[in-house]
Amino acid sequence: MKKVSIIGAGNVGANAAFYIAEKNFADVMLIDIVEGRAKGKALDLMEAAPVRDYDTKIDGSDNIENIANSEVVVVTAGHVRKPQMSRLDLLEQNAKVIGPIIGKIKQYAPEAKIIVVTEPVDALSCYVWKKGGFKRNQIIGMTGVLDTTRLREFISKELQVSTADTTALVMGGHHDYMVILPRYARVEGIPITQLLPKERITNIIRRTREAGSEILSYLKTATAHYAPAAAIAEIAEAIVKDSKRLLCISACLQGEYGVKDLCLGVPAIIGANGIEKVIELQLTLEEKQEFDESMTVISEAVKILEE
Amino acid sequence: MNKVSIIGSGNVGTSTALYLAEKKIADISLIDVVEGLSEGKALDAEESAPIRKYDIELRGTTDFSELAGSDVVVVTAGIARKPGMSRADLLNTNAKIIKSVSEKIAQYAPNSIIVMVTNPLDVMSYVALKITGFALKRIVGMAGVLDATRFRYFVAQKLGVAVGDTTAMVLGGHGDSMVPLPRYSTVGGVPITEILSKDDIDKIIERTRKGGAEIVGYLKTGSAYYAPAASVAEMVECIIRDKKRILPCSAYLRGEYGIEGIFVGVPVLLGKNGVDRIIELELIPEEKEALHVSAAAVKEVIEKLEDLEIF
Repeated sequence: MKKVSIIGAGNVGANAAFYIAEKNFADVMLIDIVEGRAKGKALDLMEAAPVRDYDTKIDGSDNIENIANSEVVVVTAGHVRKPQMSRLDLLEQNAKVIGPIIGKIKQYAPEAKIIVVTEPVDALSCYVWKKGGFKRNQIIGMTGVLDTTRLREFISKELQVSTADTTALVMGGHHDYMVILPRYARVEGIPITQLLPKERITNIIRRTREAGSEILSYLKTATAHYAPAAAIAEIAEAIVKDSKRLLCISACLQGEYGVKDLCLGVPAIIGANGIEKVIELQLTLEEKQEFDESMTVISEAVKILEE
Repeated sequence: MNKVSIIGSGNVGTSTALYLAEKKIADISLIDVVEGLSEGKALDAEESAPIRKYDIELRGTTDFSELAGSDVVVVTAGIARKPGMSRADLLNTNAKIIKSVSEKIAQYAPNSIIVMVTNPLDVMSYVALKITGFALKRIVGMAGVLDATRFRYFVAQKLGVAVGDTTAMVLGGHGDSMVPLPRYSTVGGVPITEILSKDDIDKIIERTRKGGAEIVGYLKTGSAYYAPAASVAEMVECIIRDKKRILPCSAYLRGEYGIEGIFVGVPVLLGKNGVDRIIELELIPEEKEALHVSAAAVKEVIEKLEDLEIF
């Protein structure tokens, strides 16, 4: 069984372990610096194994050395938003949290594919990539998979169709400027632009952009964790099983879409090597403009980190 | 699609929703008095549906009228145990919560089956019975399935065998007086008494007894929720799909095992009507005595409760 390590055993990290266990595709090592947290959650999950019938092994530790031999390392450690905060507000404090983690990953699991979840994802993916000196295919920011599952849920609710028949594509930075492409959002292949009036599409797009804040405003003291964890498990599964899925993730771009040395949300083929290929879509002028605006925000955030 | 309502959107309640969703058992309503909590968790879970391929509906609300039409109502509402706190300490607060919740269930979902999770659950099941006046078989407490899954995990780990090949039977009240039965706990049908030393079995029993406290000890600010939620989902699935499995659950006894008028953990045949039958195992004297000690502990708490004049 291949191994997925998850650094940060909060709600997102522990539920990612839960989703991985439910699909039985990898052993999981939960890591958290808070003593007992990872161990307690891992034990609780293992005690559910007889009932849920999984033979995955889930272990917990406060020692990061235990990430050794991981196929995938997921980084969820860091602070989460409080109401009224933007994801970018977390930039500096979370960079401090994951700074030392990057060195440890380089030391103990240098070949692992790294799924970055800590917010702001695009800027911190870039940080992990540059600071750790990893190959670009190793770094995957968890962004679009989450945005698209939300978008698909809203489309399915709006049209009263099964979510299984929906597809969606979201690009750009994982923040208020995410680029949602209605042309590529489809129900059984039919673009939603043919199924919904413009105004309702605009509403769905707005709701998707603000979906993280919507959950936060309900929960007040916690941020979303089920959908983000499901998105992590989806990416990890594609890597572990080498499924070559086309997923929207944040990738370190090297010329694609006219962007160099920056991580941004794009569709990509995900397999055993992590990012196997970035897919370059033919964007309309308007879409390209939105994408560039989104890029500018991330590029400024990365500059702050570099300084 | 059948409907399951879950009262209490804490970790156990919402993880139960997730486990039910993963197996597409029923539509789910999460209900909590805290504004926003159920709505937020249900929406978050719904937003993972496209990835996890659920076609069930998940709704969150503060409105108890949403209980209407439920086939099963899971009750997880109540305060959780903090480190050092015994289950009995939870009594006062949780009894009041369960009283009010039971009134709502009787009002809005009079034909449902109640799965009681709130601790001390053998006693809370009794409170629910008194308040709702439901038929005895329609109230069942979740305890033995959790104790058994923990026991099985420890056995599997000790022997290095797949958890899928293990079975376990745990009777009695859910707490320090639970009665694990090694003779009825097997690996591929072989009683563990034939493949593990008495010393090892004793250690596993002790660890199972303290299984909840072990997790609290690690987490410090929270208690276990994955294994408890998985256990609840297992019972709910059994009821909704009328699987008629034999599961250790807390059920109201009328003379079975020589116990009268309380809820205590025994093997039951669980199906769409709730507790179809209580299975009476042949017990050796020590087992019987342990069960009676456990029943006495439950009875004692109920007497305390009656002094509080909850009913």
